[in-house]
Amino acid sequence: MDLYGWFGKALRVNLSTGVIKEEEIEKTLMMDWLGGRGLGTRMIYREVPAVCNPLGSENKLVFAAGPLTGSNFPGSGRFSVSAKSPLTGTIFDSNAGGTWGVRLKRCGFDMLIIEGAASTPVFLSIKDGAASLEDAGELWGNDVFETNHKIISILGKDVSVACIGPAGENQVKFAAIMNDAHRALGRGGLGAVMGAKKIKAVVVSGNKKVRVAHPEKMDLMVYESDKWIQASPITSKGLPEFGTPVLVNLFNELGVFPSYNFQGSQFANAGKISGEAIAETIYAGRKGCYRCPVQCTRMVKIGASTIPGPEYESLWALGPECGIDDLTVIAEANNLCNQLGLDTISTGVTIGCAMELEERGLLKTGLKFNDAVGLLRAIKQIASREGVGDLLAEGSRRMADSSGFSQYSMQVKGLELPAYDPRGMQGMGLGFATSNRGGCHLSAYMVGPEALGVPKMVDRFSTGGKAGLTITQQNINAAVDSLIICRFINLAVSEEYFARALSAATGVDYRPQDLHRIGERIWTLERLYNLQAGLDSSFDTLPPRLLEEPIAEGPSLGKTVELKPMLAEYYRFRGWDAAGIPTSKKLQELELEEYSC
Amino acid sequence: MLKDFQKIGRDLFLSGLNSSHSGNLSVRYGDRIVITRRGSMLGHLEERDLIETGLAKNDSKIILASTEIGVHRAIYKGTSALAVVHAHPVHAIALSLLEDQIIPVDSEGAYLLHKIPVIGAEHTIGSKELENILPGLLSEYKIVMVRGHGSFAVGQMIEEAYQWTSCLEQVCRIICLTRSLHGEMKEKRFEKFTSW
Repeated sequence: MDLYGWFGKALRVNLSTGVIKEEEIEKTLMMDWLGGRGLGTRMIYREVPAVCNPLGSENKLVFAAGPLTGSNFPGSGRFSVSAKSPLTGTIFDSNAGGTWGVRLKRCGFDMLIIEGAASTPVFLSIKDGAASLEDAGELWGNDVFETNHKIISILGKDVSVACIGPAGENQVKFAAIMNDAHRALGRGGLGAVMGAKKIKAVVVSGNKKVRVAHPEKMDLMVYESDKWIQASPITSKGLPEFGTPVLVNLFNELGVFPSYNFQGSQFANAGKISGEAIAETIYAGRKGCYRCPVQCTRMVKIGASTIPGPEYESLWALGPECGIDDLTVIAEANNLCNQLGLDTISTGVTIGCAMELEERGLLKTGLKFNDAVGLLRAIKQIASREGVGDLLAEGSRRMADSSGFSQYSMQVKGLELPAYDPRGMQGMGLGFATSNRGGCHLSAYMVGPEALGVPKMVDRFSTGGKAGLTITQQNINAAVDSLIICRFINLAVSEEYFARALSAATGVDYRPQDLHRIGERIWTLERLYNLQAGLDSSFDTLPPRLLEEPIAEGPSLGKTVELKPMLAEYYRFRGWDAAGIPTSKKLQELELEEYSC
Repeated sequence: MLKDFQKIGRDLFLSGLNSSHSGNLSVRYGDRIVITRRGSMLGHLEERDLIETGLAKNDSKIILASTEIGVHRAIYKGTSALAVVHAHPVHAIALSLLEDQIIPVDSEGAYLLHKIPVIGAEHTIGSKELENILPGLLSEYKIVMVRGHGSFAVGQMIEEAYQWTSCLEQVCRIICLTRSLHGEMKEKRFEKFTSW
């Protein structure tokens, strides 16, 4: 069968038996689920029992590229990993840029399934389609940078490494998988799943060409998309010049920049840690992923070292969330998280929660706000599970529950919240509450319509119309995560271009509404899985602080999230019943009758 | 300042010089610029739609600014203007597709504008090419048409730049109407402005 965009091949690696085999992926499967998150969701739903222990051998890791991965389309250098999350217990996908995804694709595979568990540490090497499991005894215990360096020094520069650090080995519930040294599949603790399976790294290297069905049409889409990326001040000026920390001053001015474990919605010293401040003080260049015209990564100079600087979310979590206003400390903490293989958001928010519990005298953690030494020490302790780090390594929900004060944990479904106070952005609140993977900003990315005016600016304080908009955003983003395109590209380029590029790449005719439908199918299947895992509608909520405590000052003064009416509307618009369960009519409409909860 | 932007933005929309979400306005003061937000509705401007950022230097507000911020900045750097109006007047755009310059045939238009250059560019939106071309022309002319795209007018205040925009569209409507009558023009007294 002639395939374009996809190779139609998966590699299945059983760590328990050591058996590695190639499998065909049916074209209809790829057409329906595209790749990345979509294909990963479908595989996890089919093959991983919803009630299994995420750190047991029944869980699987599905690495997947998409039909645009490796093409010339801007922002297409991404891949995703799906599994059942040890942090949230939900189905979970996490994606990252760099070069790893492109190299997996160039090995001739759209998907890699890792199952079972090894008895001793191993790493998987895939070179031009030939795969082998290698002894990783020497690598076990190494941090991410050492692991990356050692593997590259053995296998050469033309390989990309996705690996875990000590945090993953120690099964920290929010351990990341790190690729290309500094790129993170951060959220959800998928690094702990690798650690539990004793697989230290997956190394890819390949030269197969990804065939495009209609190169001339693809060229036109690339040309037009690049034009819009260059025309948009977000992608041509803001992100290239300041990186994602461009959002710091903006959100602080709106009063939606949380601080001190969401006790505040502004941070007094935001200006000291903003994108502008980075540009004026520690900036040392910029970098980007494969085929990226935006190049949002900041390189920063700390002492004698030049390292990748913190992204907006990391900067906030390791900064204002913990009361820290020192850029150098934040950059060091961020680098330490990368080195040890930790999700920066969950790390910062869990530490911030521990700081509040300590200050309220509710839990002895030895941590206090604005304690830089304590922050750095806690990060190391979490990764090694030493002392109080062992408790923090379980995430803020379990930690706060242990003290009997769960209300101080700023999470949804166990996933620590990112850098937006939803009390000043109602749609963001609904997006957090309904996200299938928990407290996630990327699922709905209501930052676009509520703050950046993409696709159009809406009233951030209003609840009216937010359910419909949130659903649309969640659906299209699920499809974009399956293509798989960087989220920043669709701040400048609409889904019409994505559909045309997908059609050009695969030769299959897709229209924008097809992407919405594919996204809705992915979203619904994730929901069904979560329901099977026992996560019913009672989990579609927010921490009490955001629902009950009005913002005390600033431009969002007096606001709480008015979740209840938005949620009822959300269920209705989704075609779910009042208990948040997809109706059989909806499943029929989406041709998902064979799936159920 | 908000009131000025609201008044001119509303008039631009109501007089058909812009569609619901097109066009942008800015003023310069010192090394700062206030420009309408990307995607804002000029007919319904609110406080959140006015974005202040640097004239030469970007800051975080840049991500909210109009897509044409680069052109506005280039105009301020290359001219003495203190205000810029960018609009999409339909008759002027139609004529720009046929002509390299627009010479008014009516007295008011000829008196005020004399001649309106029409320039072409491969990329016309958020265009670096226009950043290079427009400042030079706008230091000599009050308003310039970008072929198939729209007008950029300068002034010491927004109302002035709006006047040139409104006048241009009036000029072009008259030309289009005159041409549609298929008669011989009795006088071509303003043709001398081709050498303006």
